[in-house]
Amino acid sequence: MRKKGRGMATIMFGFGYGEGFPDHSIAEIEITTDQKIKLRTAGADVGQGFLTTMIQIAAEVLKIDSSYIEIVGQDTHQAKNSGSTSATRQTFFSGNAVREAAEEVMGMIYHHGSIYFNSNHPELTVKDGEIYACDNKEEKISYWELAEIVKQKGDNLQAEASFFPKTYVPDEKTGQSEKNYVAYTFMTQVIDIEVDTDTGIIEVMNVYTALDVGKAINPQNVHGQIEGGTVQGLGMALMEEQVIKNGITINPDMTNYLVPSIQDIPEFESTLIENEDSDGPFGAKGIGEPTLIAACPAVANAVYDAIGVRITSLPITPEIILNSLEENNN
Amino acid sequence: MSKRYVGKDMLKVDAESKVTGRAQYPSDLKFDNCLHVKIKRATYPHAILKDLDINRAKNIDGVVDIITAKDYPNLNKFGLIIKDQDVLIKMGEKMKFMGDALAIIIAETEEIALKARDKIGVEIKKLEVITDPLRAIEKDAPPIHEDLSGLCTDYLKPNLNQKNILVDHYLKKGDVKKGFTEADLIVENEYRTQHIDQLPLQNESGYALYDDKKDEIKIWAASQWLHDTQADVAQSINMSKEKIRIIQTAIGGAFGKKEDVSVHIHLALAALHTQRPVKLEYTREESMIAQSKRHPLIIKAKTGVSSNGYLTAWSVEVIGDTGAYASSGPAVVHKGMYHCTGPYNVENIEGTSYAIYTNNTYGGAMRGFGTTQMAFAYESQMDILAHKLNIDPAQFRYQNAYITGSVTPNGQKLGKSVNTKRTIESVIDLAKWEGEINK
Amino acid sequence: MKITLTVNGEKREVEVKPQTRLLDLLREDLGLTGTKEGCGKGECGACTVIMNNKLVASCLVLAVQADQSEILTIEGLNCQDELHPIQNAFINKGAVQCGFCIPGMIMSSKQLLDENINPTEAEIKRGLSGNICRCTGYVKIIDAVKEAAHKMRSRGEDDV
Repeated sequence: MRKKGRGMATIMFGFGYGEGFPDHSIAEIEITTDQKIKLRTAGADVGQGFLTTMIQIAAEVLKIDSSYIEIVGQDTHQAKNSGSTSATRQTFFSGNAVREAAEEVMGMIYHHGSIYFNSNHPELTVKDGEIYACDNKEEKISYWELAEIVKQKGDNLQAEASFFPKTYVPDEKTGQSEKNYVAYTFMTQVIDIEVDTDTGIIEVMNVYTALDVGKAINPQNVHGQIEGGTVQGLGMALMEEQVIKNGITINPDMTNYLVPSIQDIPEFESTLIENEDSDGPFGAKGIGEPTLIAACPAVANAVYDAIGVRITSLPITPEIILNSLEENNN
Repeated sequence: MSKRYVGKDMLKVDAESKVTGRAQYPSDLKFDNCLHVKIKRATYPHAILKDLDINRAKNIDGVVDIITAKDYPNLNKFGLIIKDQDVLIKMGEKMKFMGDALAIIIAETEEIALKARDKIGVEIKKLEVITDPLRAIEKDAPPIHEDLSGLCTDYLKPNLNQKNILVDHYLKKGDVKKGFTEADLIVENEYRTQHIDQLPLQNESGYALYDDKKDEIKIWAASQWLHDTQADVAQSINMSKEKIRIIQTAIGGAFGKKEDVSVHIHLALAALHTQRPVKLEYTREESMIAQSKRHPLIIKAKTGVSSNGYLTAWSVEVIGDTGAYASSGPAVVHKGMYHCTGPYNVENIEGTSYAIYTNNTYGGAMRGFGTTQMAFAYESQMDILAHKLNIDPAQFRYQNAYITGSVTPNGQKLGKSVNTKRTIESVIDLAKWEGEINK
Repeated sequence: MKITLTVNGEKREVEVKPQTRLLDLLREDLGLTGTKEGCGKGECGACTVIMNNKLVASCLVLAVQADQSEILTIEGLNCQDELHPIQNAFINKGAVQCGFCIPGMIMSSKQLLDENINPTEAEIKRGLSGNICRCTGYVKIIDAVKEAAHKMRSRGEDDV
């Protein structure tokens, strides 16, 4: 018999290393004379779209088509530390560093632009990689031309920024810390499942997600994180376990260590909550890890809803379901 | 104000290279005259290395050399937070899990390297294998590491075997005794989570090359943190950071697994040793055995609540299996504990957490970093309480949820961007949740 | 021993050892590194290529078994500068994260759509069930295959 169940989970995640651990990211932006904007970061793009997000932030601040922006510095000898792509920190940390570096460069554009036009700053308009004298749209200069002029003065349209917020080491005895993590992300999920009480197999039907993202710099990629993170969480909830017996891994291959396949995935419906209220770039918060966290408890709670059995260990395999049902019957 | 790029679905800048097969992951690079590296690993999870016979393997045609600890006696241990992992196990010292490296085989082809690996003779003295952290903390359990981690506090209970405890942490807020006295209902449960492999689709892989003109080792391998990997490699082989250059490639998935050093140090040594380009790629089996896991946690959670559904006290004890080495272990287990109440207001909290050495594959970073395991506990507790109180689980969460000004278990007052309640409101609309929230 | 095969429309003659896998032949001998190895046991689908109009896990096929065969890899999918509609759809729908599964995923999609230009969601899932992706949760991959099918159908109609 198939029994339906629905479970909810609300989670939070404090992101960045926190706990007083020095955590920072350095980024650099340079406008070159050969029509390129170099964005230098050592941050690792593991597929989530980190580099794309950085380009979006830089293009927004610099008011220029994103195709001019080129990533450089994916090399210890070509860029300074950006910190790790972990702890759900890159959008917040490197995003802020990129925003700050871009704002610095924008300040230089206004400074040198105003000298060129012999104007004060409010009389300049900067748009699409060009600088106008306000009252005369015919009179304009491109970023690249300005870079050339600045170069001749022995300077560069280039800036580096470091984002280095402070957190505090928790007290050893009590764990108390005025600021333990830079910020927190929240998420609630409702997961619908169907339990086959004859086989013990759980099918995940629907996942509903509301994610407190602050601001989605790239909504498509945020949804990509929700879907990918949740499916990893479902793997942990239902099937994944590296079995280590007496120190020896019994299942060191993908035949016996199962992860979700395309046949195992539910329907997704998600809402992004965008209050633009965090200290991240444009109000954004990190979401990489949070998207995985609610799946296990939401599934366990749905199992209880479906068959009245409370499972307290993972993964919730068909065998565990059948054993629990039997125990309940006795 | 509407923005031109922020908030827009800009297509990923690297997607075209990935759909055409042009993106270069570490194993896709090509070097002329390249040698192949394989690692001979531990033959038992906990044992003293008595003898290592490499002669037969070395004599195989096409084997360039085999590096053991004897060849580089001054190597330093490595690790993300503390340095407790051996690059190569020394004679007379211990292998502590099945991933420990005994020898680096360098050959003209991968096939020859594998053949040579199987010809290496290993003599060991077996020790008690400790796979259960609860066994590891017993006083009579043999110590897995010779030295203390140096991370344990003065508050560690004296009845525990400190030698096998990597780190302990504590949480104390309010008066937990009073909180439980005030509770009308108390629920106490033990939760257990499992070893998980992050399973990025690409296994650990890379190339290295020694540039004798610059006296610099170049490594092409994926890393979630270039500069940290660089520092760990440099200190372990006693070279200056400036002489270790790591070049990022396309990364075939990570999820925490590519934070630790994997191929990097062995590649650096092989490149230095042979002065030729070298390649090392793990198999899936090797990756699962030798690289980090999600920490299994045993979580004892006790939660008190008033009859009208407000949380009064929460206590947890967390035991984390950190396996043979520290890796991210000093940070993972207590991060879980710090999130023990989830996003709910609780005045009175107490917690203890331990990360414990065993002979299992070491626990490291994985997406969620301790809080994934803890959420299974706290959200199960919340659900159990809601049902026992006969309150709608959504309502129960909602009325306890953080708002601006709420204080976390660490005592951090949340000043801004606390949208917990909004996530509950939104999801019940989206899912057409039965029952309404009483705001 | 010497084998002859056609790879991405080009005739190739290659000297191979008896134990060489098709995957090694493609990656090492022909330099076609778009085809990936994720498990070496035919479980993950990263090494999927099309051989004689059928999907194969190239880690499970010996090179000698590919003698006289016709092979299509990810590198043979796009003609010169123009991407195949499946490749475009994967980009547009955000179906690519780390990308390591993507060449195999796209080859399976191609085979599916060659056989059935109007697949249902269940048929898409069946067609791609041999390809593991750890990043995306597959949702956008399904969207991409749907979009590609739609584009390919309307392109087919244009041709008529």
